[in-house]
Amino acid sequence: MWENRCKIAVSGVGFSKVSRLADTPLAAHALTAVKEAVADSGLQMSDIDGLATYPELPATGHAEVDGISIVSVNCMMAMLKLPNLSWHIQVGTTNIGGALQQAVNALLAGVCNYAVVWRAMHNPRGTYQNLPSGQAAGATQFTAPYGFGGPGQGMAVAYTRWLERNDQNREKMATLAVTQRKHTQHNPHAYFHGTELTREDYLASRMVAYPFCLFDCDIPVQGAVAVVLTTADRARDLKPKPAYLAGYGQRLHFEVAGRIGSLSSYMEGGSSSAKLTWERSGFTPKDVDVAQIYDGFSASVIYGLESYGFCKEGEALDFIQDGRIELDGDLPLNTFGGSLGTGRIHGLWHIIEGALQASGRAGSRQVKDANVSFVGASAPIVTGTTFIFVGEPY
Amino acid sequence: MSDWSKVTRPVPVPNEWTKPFWEAAKRGVLELQRCQSCGHFQHPPYATCTQCVATDLQFEPVRGVGAIYAYTIMYHTGDKRFASAVPYASIIVELDDAPGALLAGNLLDAEYTEAKVGRRVEMVFEKLNDDITLPQFRLARAPAE
Repeated sequence: MWENRCKIAVSGVGFSKVSRLADTPLAAHALTAVKEAVADSGLQMSDIDGLATYPELPATGHAEVDGISIVSVNCMMAMLKLPNLSWHIQVGTTNIGGALQQAVNALLAGVCNYAVVWRAMHNPRGTYQNLPSGQAAGATQFTAPYGFGGPGQGMAVAYTRWLERNDQNREKMATLAVTQRKHTQHNPHAYFHGTELTREDYLASRMVAYPFCLFDCDIPVQGAVAVVLTTADRARDLKPKPAYLAGYGQRLHFEVAGRIGSLSSYMEGGSSSAKLTWERSGFTPKDVDVAQIYDGFSASVIYGLESYGFCKEGEALDFIQDGRIELDGDLPLNTFGGSLGTGRIHGLWHIIEGALQASGRAGSRQVKDANVSFVGASAPIVTGTTFIFVGEPY
Repeated sequence: MSDWSKVTRPVPVPNEWTKPFWEAAKRGVLELQRCQSCGHFQHPPYATCTQCVATDLQFEPVRGVGAIYAYTIMYHTGDKRFASAVPYASIIVELDDAPGALLAGNLLDAEYTEAKVGRRVEMVFEKLNDDITLPQFRLARAPAE
């Protein structure tokens, strides 16, 4: 087991309003979320001395403009003018989960005491994923000429392989979409709070990239979420009950850029990250009380459930049936609604929900007696990270 | 059947690693990067052998026959250039002689419903302009060996 388990904790969390249109600059969303997270902890902004994020715009073919389409560490530093800032970082290889892990490492190293991690997501005007204009350079030269644009299509091809090799039926995915939308009704911050989704809606919805219909894809939104991390000793003196970090992992498998559709790459990415997390925490999938698994595209949940070890390969769509992933089921899943419910904010919201469930702070969606709380914070192929939070340190 | 006649595809821009692939395609030959140490074919081209980490890599001809490894049917018309072909099949092919190398393509000359994992396909060339000829796929006409 990891000698540093339960030495770092998640304290406060914060959310901006999630909107479909980018009518407020992204920097304002990020600032709102960060201020709310600091206030939720009962801290002053001047207490914050560490900053970490993953400032990326997943929409292809749009300009990255700091404060408008991304919110970098520099942008946040300029807005907050923190008098005690002592550490900051932006990560590249591991998405927002990696930024959070770096904040954990910095806290363990003692180079900061209260770190804020945020993820701000922009919804550009026009088509979200644009193919290259006239020319396809770099990795896209082998994919864009055939109509492959965004990551969803790359994930769709692996999903057909999964479905047909395992003799499975995409209609079973309706259970995931409908259950998560039910959970969404307990999350007032979510984009789809107040909007129901039925099995019939799912089955009748238009195809985007087969096997993905509209409700297999998270909706692009403008919004931000943030979290305060600190050492366990300090967290115990703050307002909210801490969620202790029991272990984490990151994907150790690398896929060559432009090589798309490999199902085994999803599995190797996910299992390498989860293996580290199980070993460091000492838990196994059977010990988990509640799970958040990244669902930007629904099939990510399949790859997650199977590669993390919750069920066998080829069985995930059967595993999620019969109430298992309901709030009172054996494995309550994406209890905040997931990205399919909140809108596309990437994995920091999964991490936040994992922490809230572990500390008993999830309100009307709280899973009863939840202690061991698992998070898979992004699609396991490229940027996968995994976490376990607990309410009771051990 | 998808109407490709009105589709203007993004044109590949060869770089130092990929130039031999596109030069061979222009001659009507499919050549993939091959490790001279372990014999492994790989695609897309990379700095090292993804199997044995050797750096001596050469492009060698390979037979353009294989099976559909995975596919998607594109319905979304966000990119208007492809709108006239919707719905169309974009496929990933694993060649018989290059396991692990994955080539993207469209399934040409067939209904999109013909795309299935494991179905046999063969490569054909589609000339985009004087410099770039694109490898593409159609259902296999020759019986599998």
